[in-house]
Amino acid sequence: MKVVGARIPRYDGVAHVTGRTTYVDDVSVPGTLWAKALRSPHHHARITKLDTSKAESMPGVHAVITWKDVPLLEYGHLAALGIPADEPLLAKDEVRYLGQPIALVAAQSEELAAAAVDAIEVGFEERPALFDIRQAFDSESPKIHQWGNWYPHFEGEMDVRQIRKGDIERAFEDADTIVQGVYRPAAIEHAPIETQVCQVVPEPNGRLTIYSCTQALYFSLGVVAAHLQVPLNKLKIVGGTTGGGFGGKVDTATETMSCLLAMKANRPVKWRWTREEEFLCSSTRAPWHMELATAVTKDGWILGLKMLTLHDSGAYARFSPYGLTKHSFHHTGAYSIPNLHFDGYVVFTNRTPTTAMRGFGVTSVSFAVETHMNRIANELGLDPIEIRLKNANRIGDTSPNGIAYTDPSTVETIQAIAEAIGHELPADYRTMTNEPRTGELLPEHLVSQVGSTEGH
Amino acid sequence: MAVASVASDAATEVLMPGSEDEAIATFGVGAEVVVVGGGTIVVPDMTYRRLRPAKALMLGSAGLSGIGTDGSRVTIGATTPVQALVDLKAPLGPCASNVADLEIRSQGTVGGNLCAGDGTEAPRGDLQGAFLALGATARSAANGDVTEEPLEDFLGKRHERLLLSVSFDEPAAGAFVGLDRPHTHDYTALAVSGARAQDGTLRLAATGAGSWGARLPSAEAAAGDPAVAGEAALNDVTPHDDALASAWYRTKVLPVLVRRVLTALEEST
Amino acid sequence: MNLTINGISHEVAGSELAPLLDVLREELGIMGAKAGCHQGGCGSCTVLVDGEPRRSCLLPAGYADGTQITTVEGLGAPENLMPIQQAFVHYYAAQCGFCTSGMLLAAQAYLDRGGTDDPEAIQHALAGHVCRCTGYSKIIDAVAAAARGDSFDLTTTAVGKHTTMANGGAE
Repeated sequence: MKVVGARIPRYDGVAHVTGRTTYVDDVSVPGTLWAKALRSPHHHARITKLDTSKAESMPGVHAVITWKDVPLLEYGHLAALGIPADEPLLAKDEVRYLGQPIALVAAQSEELAAAAVDAIEVGFEERPALFDIRQAFDSESPKIHQWGNWYPHFEGEMDVRQIRKGDIERAFEDADTIVQGVYRPAAIEHAPIETQVCQVVPEPNGRLTIYSCTQALYFSLGVVAAHLQVPLNKLKIVGGTTGGGFGGKVDTATETMSCLLAMKANRPVKWRWTREEEFLCSSTRAPWHMELATAVTKDGWILGLKMLTLHDSGAYARFSPYGLTKHSFHHTGAYSIPNLHFDGYVVFTNRTPTTAMRGFGVTSVSFAVETHMNRIANELGLDPIEIRLKNANRIGDTSPNGIAYTDPSTVETIQAIAEAIGHELPADYRTMTNEPRTGELLPEHLVSQVGSTEGH
Repeated sequence: MAVASVASDAATEVLMPGSEDEAIATFGVGAEVVVVGGGTIVVPDMTYRRLRPAKALMLGSAGLSGIGTDGSRVTIGATTPVQALVDLKAPLGPCASNVADLEIRSQGTVGGNLCAGDGTEAPRGDLQGAFLALGATARSAANGDVTEEPLEDFLGKRHERLLLSVSFDEPAAGAFVGLDRPHTHDYTALAVSGARAQDGTLRLAATGAGSWGARLPSAEAAAGDPAVAGEAALNDVTPHDDALASAWYRTKVLPVLVRRVLTALEEST
Repeated sequence: MNLTINGISHEVAGSELAPLLDVLREELGIMGAKAGCHQGGCGSCTVLVDGEPRRSCLLPAGYADGTQITTVEGLGAPENLMPIQQAFVHYYAAQCGFCTSGMLLAAQAYLDRGGTDDPEAIQHALAGHVCRCTGYSKIIDAVAAAARGDSFDLTTTAVGKHTTMANGGAE
């Protein structure tokens, strides 16, 4: 093998250092019009009026689009993931987050496009907004989504992602201590140095060429084709180098609308988000609220974990149900916990809709689990590395969703960390392996766990 | 694609005076004229369409840059880049070093920084506290009339006058302590400058504890005991909330910065 | 106005207040400087003006009139890379590459000022440049290597521990 295991420079390294890498905004097509969006200034409001006629008649303005121009008025296309559509590509009767796009303009210059956006007449009737996911369940909180304040379309039309394994009540009875913790990581903005950007060119043969910054070329192609209700071969999507994505350039946030403008104006169109739009309106990593209660023995065995997760999806569902599902499958982290009671909710708020970001759904639970392990060690007066090694996944142990591990590397990794930080381990911990549990590493409470689970 | 969208709008009339006298004449009474030092504040505001001036006065060629000394009197021209100050003694040197990054300091000017908007909207004016602690005076013009006055007085009128230069006497001792952010190119969240003049007068000033730089007379009066002075400083300013720090945080940290500046001044005497 | 860019003189029309970045990209089709924020906060628009790094998104074209401007295209070409460019390739100091042109120019200006391989000095010089991909350590390593005058095998990448906050540059 010439490449695997070799240290080879990036194939585009020389292009990067000579300024020759072409990003979407570097694509320069004669006759390109600038796009600008009219965005909601409110967190939650009914749209009482939307009149684009003044904008349309301004000199230098070639096209204005609203929801009426969108053949399939849906954001994203996630039916394949079992997530029904809940979000219009352009706002129709209401807006549910500050920055939600309502209309788009294509004009001769950026200045003219901005002036045309200002000339769109729009009226709102503000509504109470919900920002705290913990309040979503209160009957007094405003109802902000057509499905209610949390996602109700998991399999079997359940409104909660559940994992049940073993007997959590028994675990809590048998425990010497219950250790509790609440973990609330905040939203994170991807902040790629390249903002969202798209260039669309109508071709003489009737196709559209889309220069996209997407991380998911064929996914975006399918999404746009579905929105435009055109066959895939009508679109040619050109990807290339994304100027940083980290999960935030999968949403296909610009492509369809740029296509619609290009089709209506019959001119090439470029839509480049400002840094302010990127910060205020682009989707972020979600905030989470996680409550953990672990049943533990005084010698450091974890008997059971009861966990509640609230995931802040923002105003619409997007990928959140998928993220929460992954989160639930990983909610025991690197450790074998035989008795589980997990409930997770995708909760809506009037915040910017959230999306994938590196380790979607799982980084949150890793943070919670690892911090919680330290808390457990602290409360029990035990060494935090030894307690991890004891409970670490081994061959034959099962994940929350019932997958038996065939070769987990947890033990080896933790031992390597201990050595790297100069943490002395007792001999029996130094010699641990990931071999199937026997003897002292297979206490009674784990006996039935290996190879069994329940959940959905 | 249209070039430089600024040009295609009811275009801003750009004036580039070639001397101080021309600048003063062009500024006139400052009505509808936006003054551009280096451009680090005005240009992005125009890009984002927050500012659409009818007239812009670009001062880069007006000969207002430079640091001159006359005995112990130092005069700094209004369009001197902030970077030119970094090697000066405390408080001015460390204060200037703390501003943004090399590129911004090299383009941004002393005058532009001093005359920046109110701190609750645009937290700039990083240098205000340092110059106030130095007991600086500001030479400025409006309607053809050139005046020199204490910087404190000028700051209240900074949007109505054209700043030409700032002057101060070299102090006997100076100190600067600012909130040190983990990454640079931030605006000054909170900083305290102090200087003891040759005649023994002690001046303390804060930047970032309110909408613009302010002297701390209560702290000055209690300077004999840095801890007491630190707390007393809270009588002189009303810290605010903004994206950089909360009022609560500023209230906690201001006394600490005051104490450290006073301690540093004691140690250097 | 007359802008000399990478040695070539250009007559440009337009407002003296127009950001140099927009003149470069939209009027002159010189795309190396990037529009990351148009606020001077990210560094991706950095160019050299008479050898000194400036934010082209903040610099009025009128202030660049009559100066010598260097963009990333004015550093080495692929067949003739300058040491700083070679270092970035060899140390894998670019991932998406969007911050790279600004980083390179600021780094080259640092080297031209006599910058050394001291990681803190390098960080200070590049303080205005944001990278979301690399975590900066390989960028610092690349600049340090170029400062030392190392030569680079461009068929492979550097091996070994890199600069971290903890080790302050120790190998």
